[in-house]
Amino acid sequence: MATADEKLFLWINGIAGNFSPLDNVVRWIASDYLVPVAMALTLVALWFTGQDERARMRHQIGLFVALASMGLSSLSVFIVNIFYFRPRPFDAPGLDVELLFYRPTDSSFPSNSAAAAVAIAAAVWAVNRPIGLFLVAAAALYGFGRVYVGVHYPLDIAAGAAIGVVVTCLTLGLKNLLQPLPTWVVKAARILCLA
Amino acid sequence: MFTFATDYFLSVFVSTIGVIQLSASVGGLRGLLVFKSPIVARPFGIALAVASIILFFATEERNLNDFNGGLDANTQALFFFLGVLAGGAVTFIGSSLINIRMDDDASPGSGFDALRDTNYLRALARSLRYWTRNWRQQMRSYFSG
Repeated sequence: MATADEKLFLWINGIAGNFSPLDNVVRWIASDYLVPVAMALTLVALWFTGQDERARMRHQIGLFVALASMGLSSLSVFIVNIFYFRPRPFDAPGLDVELLFYRPTDSSFPSNSAAAAVAIAAAVWAVNRPIGLFLVAAAALYGFGRVYVGVHYPLDIAAGAAIGVVVTCLTLGLKNLLQPLPTWVVKAARILCLA
Repeated sequence: MFTFATDYFLSVFVSTIGVIQLSASVGGLRGLLVFKSPIVARPFGIALAVASIILFFATEERNLNDFNGGLDANTQALFFFLGVLAGGAVTFIGSSLINIRMDDDASPGSGFDALRDTNYLRALARSLRYWTRNWRQQMRSYFSG
């Protein structure tokens, strides 16, 4: 499994360093700022979107689910990393990596970035398919970019994405139980004409 | 670190204004718009959001670890929150000043729906006035359904 993972990594990372403009674009995509900020701004847009009060309320509750899923996914990754540490590809002996990124020092497996991005995308997907689809595409691009620049193996991204999906499903399962809390926040915001 | 954080804050601040303009135009919240026409408002919103992000990346090297001048996740979240807060405040207050004459007493909705026909500050004043007059009834409906 590890060998197939490494082979796939080398194949994707092998594209890097051949075409400078593409490298620059992927370095932006894989950065800690572009996709996370774009996703967070999409959540801001989600707060305002909806043709009537009911649709908007659904989106606004979805935003709380997305934030909770993102936090819980990161927590899950943190817990996994207490028990398991996988070195980054550029630290692996005998692996010829074209590194286009700074050297992160935390565990490679599972990818925290992928877990958080997929958790947000899945939560939004549950309340708005077109916006959810856009975020799924952004998360996929982000995951690919992290492999391309040499900071993650594909398996790290897949495991992170799986954590994101599972945690979001669990959060959605608890939504009915916890719904009064975000509903009160939204209702309070409505009084101030902020929702 | 300070320069990086400031750039990040400004980028989020301007992007937020653009995103609110775009989504308010799509949602028909005319009271929040700087330009009433969707043909102008939507490209304006997209341009603000995209330009601020491009400027952020194009001006300096941004792939930096947090101990080399970048932002750690918590600081990034904090500055994002502050940027959105500032962008939102400027949009809500600025659009109220731009749309100062906008007011339709005939259809006062609540929440964002009020912003279809009036500006934010007027809608807020109306909502608070309504709440202070009917707070018992409103509190009951607040905690039910």
